[in-house]
Amino acid sequence: MFKRLLLLGLISGVLAGIAALIYQKVYSSSVGADFSNIAKPVGIMISNVVGCIIAAVGYWILNKWLKEKTEIVFNFIFVILSFASIIPAIGAKLPLDVNSPELFPGLVIPMHFFPALAFFTIEPLFIKISEKTKNIVA
Amino acid sequence: MRTIILSMATLLTFAAAFAFAPGTNWQIADKYNVRFTGSGDVGGIFKTLKGTIVFDENNLPASNFNLAIDVASINTGNGLMNTHAKSAEWFDAAKYPQIKFTSKKIVKTGAGYQVTGDLEVHGVKKEVTLPFTFQNKGTSATFNGTFTINRSDFHVGKPGGDVAEAVKLEVMVPVVKK
Repeated sequence: MFKRLLLLGLISGVLAGIAALIYQKVYSSSVGADFSNIAKPVGIMISNVVGCIIAAVGYWILNKWLKEKTEIVFNFIFVILSFASIIPAIGAKLPLDVNSPELFPGLVIPMHFFPALAFFTIEPLFIKISEKTKNIVA
Repeated sequence: MRTIILSMATLLTFAAAFAFAPGTNWQIADKYNVRFTGSGDVGGIFKTLKGTIVFDENNLPASNFNLAIDVASINTGNGLMNTHAKSAEWFDAAKYPQIKFTSKKIVKTGAGYQVTGDLEVHGVKKEVTLPFTFQNKGTSATFNGTFTINRSDFHVGKPGGDVAEAVKLEVMVPVVKK
């Protein structure tokens, strides 16, 4: 099961990264502000994958303790952490040669929710409902 | 007698010409830098500097600066801080869109020069004396100055708080001869 969760983390991370890169392209072309030197594509992809893998490991650990209550607690924690992660993005100080820093949060704040969205979306493909009611960590 | 009168007239003409000789006009080039730093993470730049510079190392009485900085061009690197800095509590960019400096007197000092003039920030005009250096490279030159001003003297922000009263300003202005 742990391997399945890791795969879930990896695939949801890649999907979240792809979504974030598409969003970055759309955002840059629509508002005319380019932050690709600060939010680099490689960095976006790595942070999404790492974030989702950590979430998957977190799910596995929670499941050891909470059994059938894992999902509700995990979902709450993931969403709360996603919200908390936007605070540094709002307070970030960009290099002074970057124009329109006020547009930067509009780029990165939505991206902080992509890992949770991707994870929740494909989770049913990896963890069956019957497994959720039981102890899935074999 | 006639020779003496002619000689004196010539001398007077030269003296008058020298006394009223205009200083050299300089045009502000790109890549200037007006940077401010305060306590903690307070700091940033003003991106727009305009004005006229007349400066001649050999004719300081004819030299003068008339400079203006657009307050709205402030960039702290953070959007929220930019908005806050332009608000009525700080620079009030809507009411006082420019920071102005008009020189009155320039004197030579050991390390460089000192300019005394009126600095107008946030609608408050005060006489200040600012040190600067001048590196002349013929048709181009660079002015450099580092000095500290007290923001409360100009009623910028509330006294006290997280932002220190003393704000360090570093100005680097490359110029080209007009």
